[in-house]
Amino acid sequence: MALFSEATKASPASGGTRQPTAWQGWRYRAKVASREPTTLIGVLTALLFTYLIAVPIVSIVLDAVRVQFGHERRLGKDIGDLTSYYLDRVFMSPVSVDLFWRPLFNTLTVAVGAILLSLVIGGILAWLISRTDMFGRRWFATALIVPYMLPAWTFALAWTTLFKNRTVGGQPGWFEATGFTPPDWVAYGRFPITIILALHYTPFVLLLFGSALRRFDSQLEDSARILGARRYQVALKIILPLMRPALLSSMVLIFAKCLGEFGVPYVLGLPVKFEVLSTSLFRSIASRQTGVAGVVAASIMIIGIITLIIDARLVREARRFVTVGSKGSMNRQNRLGKMRLPATVFAAAIFVLSVGLPLVTLFLSTVMKMPARFTLDNFTLDYWIGTNLNTVALQTGVLLSPDLWSAAKNTLTIVGLASLTSGILGLLVGYVVIRTPVRALSIYLRQVTFLPYLVPGIAFAAAYLSLFAVPRGPMPALYGTVTILVLALIADQMPYASRAGISAMTQLGKEPEEAAQIAGAGWLRRMILIVIPIQKGSLVTGVLLPFISGIKGLSLFVILAVPSTDVLTTYSLRLVDYHYTQAANAVVLMIATIAYLGTLAAQKLTKTNLAEGLGS
Amino acid sequence: MPTINLNGAQKNYGVNSANAVSDLDLEIGDGEFMCLLGPSGCGKTTTLRMIAGLENLSGGEIRIGEKVVDSVQEGVFVPPEKREMGLVFQSYALWPHMTIERNTDFGLRLRKLPKAEREARVEQVMQALDIAKYRDRYPSQLSGGQQQRVALARMLAVNPGVLLLDEPLSNLDARLRLEMRAELKRIHKEFKTTIVFVTHDQWEAMTLATTIAVMNNGTLQQMGTPNEIYDRPANRFVAEFVGSPPINILDLDTADMTNVAREAAVFLSARQPSLKGIGAIGLRPEAIGYTDDKVQIPSDSFSGEMIVTGVLPTGGSWILELRSDNNTLFLTTSVLPRVELGTKTHFYAETGALHVFDKAGRRIAEADSLLRDAAIN
Repeated sequence: MALFSEATKASPASGGTRQPTAWQGWRYRAKVASREPTTLIGVLTALLFTYLIAVPIVSIVLDAVRVQFGHERRLGKDIGDLTSYYLDRVFMSPVSVDLFWRPLFNTLTVAVGAILLSLVIGGILAWLISRTDMFGRRWFATALIVPYMLPAWTFALAWTTLFKNRTVGGQPGWFEATGFTPPDWVAYGRFPITIILALHYTPFVLLLFGSALRRFDSQLEDSARILGARRYQVALKIILPLMRPALLSSMVLIFAKCLGEFGVPYVLGLPVKFEVLSTSLFRSIASRQTGVAGVVAASIMIIGIITLIIDARLVREARRFVTVGSKGSMNRQNRLGKMRLPATVFAAAIFVLSVGLPLVTLFLSTVMKMPARFTLDNFTLDYWIGTNLNTVALQTGVLLSPDLWSAAKNTLTIVGLASLTSGILGLLVGYVVIRTPVRALSIYLRQVTFLPYLVPGIAFAAAYLSLFAVPRGPMPALYGTVTILVLALIADQMPYASRAGISAMTQLGKEPEEAAQIAGAGWLRRMILIVIPIQKGSLVTGVLLPFISGIKGLSLFVILAVPSTDVLTTYSLRLVDYHYTQAANAVVLMIATIAYLGTLAAQKLTKTNLAEGLGS
Repeated sequence: MPTINLNGAQKNYGVNSANAVSDLDLEIGDGEFMCLLGPSGCGKTTTLRMIAGLENLSGGEIRIGEKVVDSVQEGVFVPPEKREMGLVFQSYALWPHMTIERNTDFGLRLRKLPKAEREARVEQVMQALDIAKYRDRYPSQLSGGQQQRVALARMLAVNPGVLLLDEPLSNLDARLRLEMRAELKRIHKEFKTTIVFVTHDQWEAMTLATTIAVMNNGTLQQMGTPNEIYDRPANRFVAEFVGSPPINILDLDTADMTNVAREAAVFLSARQPSLKGIGAIGLRPEAIGYTDDKVQIPSDSFSGEMIVTGVLPTGGSWILELRSDNNTLFLTTSVLPRVELGTKTHFYAETGALHVFDKAGRRIAEADSLLRDAAIN
């Protein structure tokens, strides 16, 4: 008989003489950690991302407080000395209003307006789609997400096509052409930017709020009903409080997105000098005000970081009362009765406004000689495939222009290479984060790859410019090369790639791999036979999603690309600048098509909801 | 297969957290069917994973035979893939991208056995576990019980000396569980493997194990045969954890001691004045009898008068709830009780049926012999 009396030992932690020394413990852990390449890969990727992500950010922050080239005489200091001149200039000087404060005010008001509008529209749509018997709910559920798949400034271009007035030269807008001149406030600036951003980000609300509504446990509702609560009381006292985290979270996300939005304010704000922070930053960079750009970029980063910290808080809070996955979470439908048709018309109207109208406008604009004249002889395919056109430049249709194809080729190589790399790196990061026995490494990797998420693309691009524009150490100057674009894109997409990798590895769990390990498989075999085959799907998404966001991305390229490294987005922006409106619209349509098809493909391939790819 | 020894094995997750397993000594002999039994969070799964090598130690060592496979002090760590063991996970962890046949074949392929030999072995194992007809299916197309058998087959195919099972039956429904229990017993005989089995289900442990190791809070409470565990629990935790309905504990070491407990204390000190430091007395429900007629109480029994407050049929037997003031006793009987609720009755328990624990909750072993002797006299 084996009886032990250890049960009542006062402090089981003190193993007495058998307790290993610190050195023994360390040696053992090192042995365990070094047994597999996981840790080595982790250290290498950590170093890589420190260089690609952390260093540029530090560099631009340093730019903000150090004397830049050209100012050494004025400040009486050497280049690189510490100075508060730029801080002063951006925040305190007479020009600070133009450089920072007014753009900040504009950013905030546009963002708040867009948030409120998209919350109202998105909230109603989400409720209609997930909780009522509106006609065509299934179809609307997908169709109303489409605006998010398209680049935001698609809508800006459509807007100018319609509302452009005589303030700006070039081909007039449709309204102007029919004799009605839209006032400036309709054509440019705060109003259209707010509307467009609201329509563009409504899918956010639809996805986040809608999925929260769908997962809502209807037993919670039933319990309140049984206790005698009326419908509106249930909505007010039960549903709304539980939905609050989802609502707040979508608000914060939209705000963060608006902060970095560049294309829309660039297209619609410039004619009336309506500046937001991102365009102000762009102007500083374009006029080589490196120090000022540093301050503005750092400010944008700080605002972004604060916003996302708030979001993280909210998400954590939301976890406290998740209402997911209980068996009561069946979908309870409200009968709309007489309102069924009007509700459907409302959803359809939003679809027409946010998808149909802009795309049709853009398309028509590319096949019409004169705006808004719907006669047969006014239609032409010249802008697409014409030759020997009577113009200064671009004398062929855009499809025949070598510039388009070189931009397309650039896009494919740059974005393709970057997304392939970041997809693979993302899976590796996911693997290391979940598997490494070295916890500090796991935490660091998780955080450093997430960092670009806190930094709006335009500020991040500025950071890259600050670090790689000049040769540093063994690194040659990269400005104007494909390399800097690829590197910046990889870094910019790491948050999504690594999050996809981490969540894929978390979902996989360690058991299938452990089972292989028990069966006798070493690290490499487990990777090849177990991990990669099972993760095939998420690897494809991990490549595809960054690819789509890269294709439609603008803010990164607009700062880092030069004419020789033009991609489709910068090419179309250049066309906008030269007032080749039709050609620009054609290119944007192509981008939108690629982005849309790509998103659909990703969804089909992985059978996942788009909500997971949110923000990419 | 040689024996497996854990010496002072320790595991904590992080410097400041409590030990998941502390200072564990465990010996698993060749051919044993050992159950690690305990409530959830007691460290039994961690122990199993340490044996497999999936969990690193924070202190102590693990030996297989004479060979140290894991030791913090000596800086030795043999990875799981080299320990030649089998482990069936609670979730089964079948590889979703492989057919049942490929799942079963995996370990053999890694060992680079000739094809003919592999096929024969896979066939044999699949036949033995009755999954041959699903060979071309994928795991997601099988039911829980079938998946469970595949998980077993996968590990048995390589003929491991030790088979580790982590709550393999907990995801099955009651009937399948019964079948698989019989299956496991058969496998243990047929494949002559040592089996280490983790469960929180005492019934499972009792019916399957040759040895049970009861754990709580990361420490080993008692190791012994199922009968030893049940009949001579080493401490109050084991006594209370094993047995259903649970053992009646009369706490003597408390300010609000119940009347029955006080009477029990008086009874004991009258029998055995030499017994000192008694903290609690345990009475298994089936060791308690009851009668309306005081004369029928066997001599030298601890007895008292209580009111019947509940009769709970459990199918073939009954649980009686007795109360007096602040005391409650449960007893079980296999004879249909003919008692009225609210009437008084006499309960009794023979001296030898009393489990005596000291103030720290440990069994007072000498009480067993003393009381038995007293009963004989």
